[in-house]
Amino acid sequence: MSLPSPTPRFAPPPQVADRPRLELRNLRKRLGDTAAVNGIDLAVAPGESVVLLGPSGCGKTTTLRMVAGFLQPDGGEIHLDGVVASTSAFALPPEKRQLGMVFQSYAVWPHRTVAENVGYGLEVAGKKKAEIEAGVAEVLDLVQLSALAKRYPAELSGGQQQRVALARSLATKPSLLLLDEPLSNLDASLREEMRFELRALQKNIGLTTLYVTHDQDEALVLADRIVVMNKGRIEQLGTPEEVYRTPASRFVGSFVGIANLLEGEVDAVDRAAGKVRIALDAGDRLWSRAPARWLADAAPGSRATVLLRPEDFRLEQPQVPDQETGIDVSFLSESFLGSHYELKLQAGATPLRVQSRRRGSFVDGRTRLWARPGSAWVVA
Amino acid sequence: MSEITASHHLAEGTRATTPLLRRLSSLQPVRFLIIGGSIAILLALIAYPLALLAGYSFIDAHGNLTFDTFEKAFARRGMWQATLNSGWLVLFVTVGACALGVPLAWIVARTDAPGKALITLSAGISFVIPTFISVISWIFLAAPNSGYLNRLAVEYLGFSAAPLNIMSFGGLVFIEIVGVYPLVFFAVSAALNNIDASHEQAARVLGAGRLRTTLTVTLPLVRPAILSAVILVMLDALSSFGAPAAIGTMANFSVITTKIYDLLKFPPQFNYAAAVAMPILIVTAISLLIQKYAIRTENFRTLTGKATPDQITRLGRWRWLAGGFCLVVAFGTAILPVGALVLLSLLSSFGAPISLGNLVTKHYGLIFDEDFVARASIIHSMLLALATATVCATLGLVLGWVVERFRFFGREVISFLVMIAYGFPSIAYAVGILMGYVDLFYGTLTLILIAYAGKLLPIAFVLVRNGIQQLSTDLEEAARISGAGWLRSIKDVTFPLVRGAVGIAWVLVFSLSLRELSMSAILAQSDTQVMPTVVLQFIEDGAVELAAALAVIIVAVSLSMLGLIRLFTRKKTAVVS
Ligand SMILES: Nc1ncnc2c1ncn2[C@@H]1O[C@H](COP(=O)(O)OP(=O)(O)OP(=O)(O)O)[C@@H](O)[C@H]1O
Ligand SMILES: [Mg+2]
Repeated sequence: MSLPSPTPRFAPPPQVADRPRLELRNLRKRLGDTAAVNGIDLAVAPGESVVLLGPSGCGKTTTLRMVAGFLQPDGGEIHLDGVVASTSAFALPPEKRQLGMVFQSYAVWPHRTVAENVGYGLEVAGKKKAEIEAGVAEVLDLVQLSALAKRYPAELSGGQQQRVALARSLATKPSLLLLDEPLSNLDASLREEMRFELRALQKNIGLTTLYVTHDQDEALVLADRIVVMNKGRIEQLGTPEEVYRTPASRFVGSFVGIANLLEGEVDAVDRAAGKVRIALDAGDRLWSRAPARWLADAAPGSRATVLLRPEDFRLEQPQVPDQETGIDVSFLSESFLGSHYELKLQAGATPLRVQSRRRGSFVDGRTRLWARPGSAWVVA
Repeated sequence: MSEITASHHLAEGTRATTPLLRRLSSLQPVRFLIIGGSIAILLALIAYPLALLAGYSFIDAHGNLTFDTFEKAFARRGMWQATLNSGWLVLFVTVGACALGVPLAWIVARTDAPGKALITLSAGISFVIPTFISVISWIFLAAPNSGYLNRLAVEYLGFSAAPLNIMSFGGLVFIEIVGVYPLVFFAVSAALNNIDASHEQAARVLGAGRLRTTLTVTLPLVRPAILSAVILVMLDALSSFGAPAAIGTMANFSVITTKIYDLLKFPPQFNYAAAVAMPILIVTAISLLIQKYAIRTENFRTLTGKATPDQITRLGRWRWLAGGFCLVVAFGTAILPVGALVLLSLLSSFGAPISLGNLVTKHYGLIFDEDFVARASIIHSMLLALATATVCATLGLVLGWVVERFRFFGREVISFLVMIAYGFPSIAYAVGILMGYVDLFYGTLTLILIAYAGKLLPIAFVLVRNGIQQLSTDLEEAARISGAGWLRSIKDVTFPLVRGAVGIAWVLVFSLSLRELSMSAILAQSDTQVMPTVVLQFIEDGAVELAAALAVIIVAVSLSMLGLIRLFTRKKTAVVS
């Protein structure tokens, strides 16, 4: 296993050649008596798509609004293209930051047509009429709204308004695009479609984006890197795969995807391979990868928690088993979800959620489960 | 679209400005100036005169705290009687306005009585016509001997003596009731219309009869509306000046407001006037507090929609009785007085028999005569109304924005100050303005403008603030992030979206300025007479025909300005929908 171990704090951006488009240094903000943002470090490289992911109230919007310049930090610094934009003593006004922003409510101006909305940034910048028209046509084409340029927002569907908001933010060719839950007001199927469209757009035009969401699926699709936040702090920063497969904490493990957490005791340590063998309380033993820092202190006899995803279980013994006897589980309930069955099982007192292509066969309501080899991960 | 990738190179050029310039721009001087300026004006308009008022009544010549001024002021002859009269006036008017307004609201909102539209219209008319103008109509109709209704009664109905006398305390109560009952009527019928039918249906389903439902569900739900209206009516009656001044002079009685007016006649006694105004202030403050705490907490209603057919009570035989009641009210409070006013303005002289031959336009001729005081007063009033409406709409926009959008310590003080001015009796406020600005602006229209603007600002502020409240902050922020500065975001986004509210505020303030009497009476000098003060002068001089002609002009301009509101509301819905 060569997956890098997650670093909970600052991670260098993938492309180190260019200086970061956005850099947050120990950013802090109190709102009322909550520390809404409590020391955040982050660097966003040009062309990169970073997603802030976290539960409601964890400070995502607050962070984004500080970057935009609508809120002033209490501590720390914000740098845009290497230049200070906000400190606790100074804040460049939003209009001077050359950013784009898509709002959760769209904030499309009801008194202006689609074209007037989209062209506003160019108009403010003092561009000539012909230039504005060309710019508007170009972005409207990009979001496939050219036919609706003369309409008023009230005559558009929610999804179309969303596209207008996006086009408006792109028209000025911003150096960084901020998006605050831009898809949360759309219905489920449209949201899914827009997700992929946004990602394609971002890749095609090499847009740098900072995207806020509390929807993990959205984050996985859209991110080059995900910043998982909790209570104003960064819990983990890494690629979607890292965050999903090697979460830095129980919180991250349960917030991104469904987590089955099994307790056990270490009975062998293989530091060279970055693995430990764990005797599960629910029975059987398995080999699990573990974070390097945790591994350093691990010794036989210490306690450990293992994370397994619902899709990491097998209902029959695999060809090359990781385990010996399998985990003995009892049946609780089963739902059919089209592509697979979702089983709710119990191993001892620990509830488990398992995905299976086939219906399980249970004897007296019991069966055995095996983990897919190499899928287990120790969470600190 | 490959330029987007390269865009930060473009950005670099502008970002390379010196740190100092960047720091300066972060202060946003335009925003700072406009907001700071507006707050300064607010303080000058409202806080300063009010502070002076309190200061004069509590502090003696040597700067010590004292209650002496009160004792001396209330020891003056007739002062207690005037206070008592004010108390009775408030009581009778409040009871009367509720007795008239609540049943009418119920009939209009919840029954099938005929003539409902007529009541809404006539309540609107009563509301628009200030009481000092209805006094003119009622002098024409019910003056002790020469009133036309009295003559009708004596000559044709066999009365031995004139049955009606408008020049009495009872007459004053009647005129005040007619002037303020629309407040109760509109508030209660709006509340009745807004009660979700399901509340009442739930009670019916549980077995409550119609009467029981009305008493246990409907009435408690509209109680907050009734209470708020009662407070407004009380404050209105307490601070009313026009009708008490006109009738009091003739019937020889005083109320607190007319006493204050007398104290300011030459030589003006500011400290006594301020002290006498204090009871009004205290009652006002208490009422506003009650309004804020008692009524707000009771405002639990979930109001939506419009009365459904299910909520309409069929009156059966009583239908015609209710319809008759509506007709009598409409006739007595709107049709008769307006008709009388127009007729009187055209009649050759008060007391002349009503015949085609006696109808003339000479009063209007005199009003527009260049050498006569009335013409200048029309011009003054128009100028003042234009200026006041513009000042109030602009200030309302900036202050409404500040309160809704700007987070800084004490921004609530702004809305508090503005609301104080709202509850403040005009007459007392005018005293404060006089004390604060008489040296600077003696005998100028500016002095009157300051008073009008301060007193009418709350109306503009509340309307525009509500408009801004309904606008999501995102709309403005989207403009900022697109590169627009603060002023530009207001101009391009906020203003166009609240234009409807600003327009309505402008028109309302304009109409209210035209009919403002209590402050004008104190502040206007011989060179700065306005229409209402001239009307009052005409009444006191007995020139009721001229008063009527000028009053007709005020009413006509007010009504046509209010017609403009429809224009704004129509535009607004077109934009928002
Ligand atoms: N004006 C305010 N006054 C006091 N506390 C505030 C204010 N605005 C936000 N907060 C608090 O700050 C914290 C962070 O809020 P923020 O809006 O950044 O959350 P979020 O991560 O965007 O959540 P969501 O996913 O629900 O949008 C929350 O605990 C919130 O209650
Ligand atoms: Mg948020």
